[in-house]
Amino acid sequence: MITLGLLEKNTFLEAVNKKSGANVLECYQCGKCVSTCPVSGYMDFPPREIMQMIKLGLKEEAYMANSMWFCLTCSACSGRCPREIDIPAVMEAIRHLAIEENYRSENKKVKDIRKFHDIFLDMVKRYGRNYELRMMAEFNIRTRNLFKDMHLAPKALLKGKIPIGHESTKRGQAIRKMYKLADKLEKEKK
Amino acid sequence: MNKLTYFPGCSAHSTSEEYDHTLKLVMRTLDVQMEEIPDWNCCGATSAHVMTENLALALPMRNLVLAERLENKTMAIACASCYSRMKSTKKHLDENPELARKINSTVIDEGEYKGTIDVKSMLQYCYEEIGLETIKSKVVKSLSGLKVACYYGCLLTRPKDVTHFDSPEYPMSMDRLMEALGAKAMDFDYKTECCGASFSISNTEVVESLSGKILEVAKESGAHLIVVACPLCQSNLDMRQPDIERHTGKKFDLPVMYFTQLMALAFGYPEVELKFPKHIVPVEAALKHIGEVIPEPEKVKRTKKAVEAESEVE
Repeated sequence: MITLGLLEKNTFLEAVNKKSGANVLECYQCGKCVSTCPVSGYMDFPPREIMQMIKLGLKEEAYMANSMWFCLTCSACSGRCPREIDIPAVMEAIRHLAIEENYRSENKKVKDIRKFHDIFLDMVKRYGRNYELRMMAEFNIRTRNLFKDMHLAPKALLKGKIPIGHESTKRGQAIRKMYKLADKLEKEKK
Repeated sequence: MNKLTYFPGCSAHSTSEEYDHTLKLVMRTLDVQMEEIPDWNCCGATSAHVMTENLALALPMRNLVLAERLENKTMAIACASCYSRMKSTKKHLDENPELARKINSTVIDEGEYKGTIDVKSMLQYCYEEIGLETIKSKVVKSLSGLKVACYYGCLLTRPKDVTHFDSPEYPMSMDRLMEALGAKAMDFDYKTECCGASFSISNTEVVESLSGKILEVAKESGAHLIVVACPLCQSNLDMRQPDIERHTGKKFDLPVMYFTQLMALAFGYPEVELKFPKHIVPVEAALKHIGEVIPEPEKVKRTKKAVEAESEVE
């Protein structure tokens, strides 16, 4: 389905370009990003196809793809892109736009990845710092997969690899205030 | 004595305590006084920038503001992810004063952002500001005989316009550092491939596949162990290694050590200080190679005819 007629304005392209600071129109579809990307094999649409979707204004298709959730921001693609397009920034822009516009993929992997990030940010909000053991446990509870990685735990604990205790920042209030104000800025954008 | 602002990151205070500890030993020998940023917070890597725009800048900014208060010229960061977040935030803020003012308003109680501090990774600090000659002069126990594969991961050198350090494709700074300690750095094509980083918990199969390839190529290079400069790389390659071995049916037996552990070893610190028991893949067997003589690659004997033919062409 091509939604872009000649007289229609590609607002999706404009929004992505503005947010990412890149110019997606410069992409000439060589596919170097696809062969470079370590996770392109896991994506519904590899980076090259996502770029073309943006050019064609296929907003919903891009939002519902798992591609931007699999992007690791390793910047291997942008380093080799002959048009020097900041592809990770483009992926990030689509992700942020999809979140802002309340698009939610039902793909299990995407849901897991989002859940992990939510837990992570929640933990930093509460303690100011992050704590792997607790994060693992919470992730397992919230994805209803209690025994994931449990075989690693005894060895890791025994070896003192993962400490039992948990550190937090002293001025927790400053962190919570930052969260609140950043959230306010996020809402002002809309 | 040089003074340095130090940002450890959450991992250095939990899963990678051995990195933090050996780093402090090494800096003591190198006569650098490290000042940890008081009451630092998590930089948000990698979840904050995945989910939000403003919080992704605000979390590192608070650390930058607190770091500036210490009034040292440079801040060095132990973890590659934290380094990447901090440095790209700084770039964004410095290029866009209006954005800086806006984000600063969320952490204004901590102070005003000035943009005066220089942000470096710990590897970069050792390589650029301390220098190989100084490091070499402190070596009391050469690591000769030890073959290492230096793994940089994605974020120490990429993206280039953020890090401005070494090559994004085939960096050599850690290799040179290891050679200064006497070890032999092997040719290793996967030195900047991604290990799967933050997918360690949420998408383990990706990490096992990506880290598995890195382990495989490192093994092929002939290295006795892998050297890293990032806690996340270390835990993906070390803690997940037995699982990767089980799923692929290949045997790697490659210990994954921090470059500071090997520096501390070469600087003469006793093994008990290097916290080897924390490694999942035991390191002792690999370190037994220290002191071995690595034979020079044999020169291929060439026939008289071949040599003559070549000189004729010239």
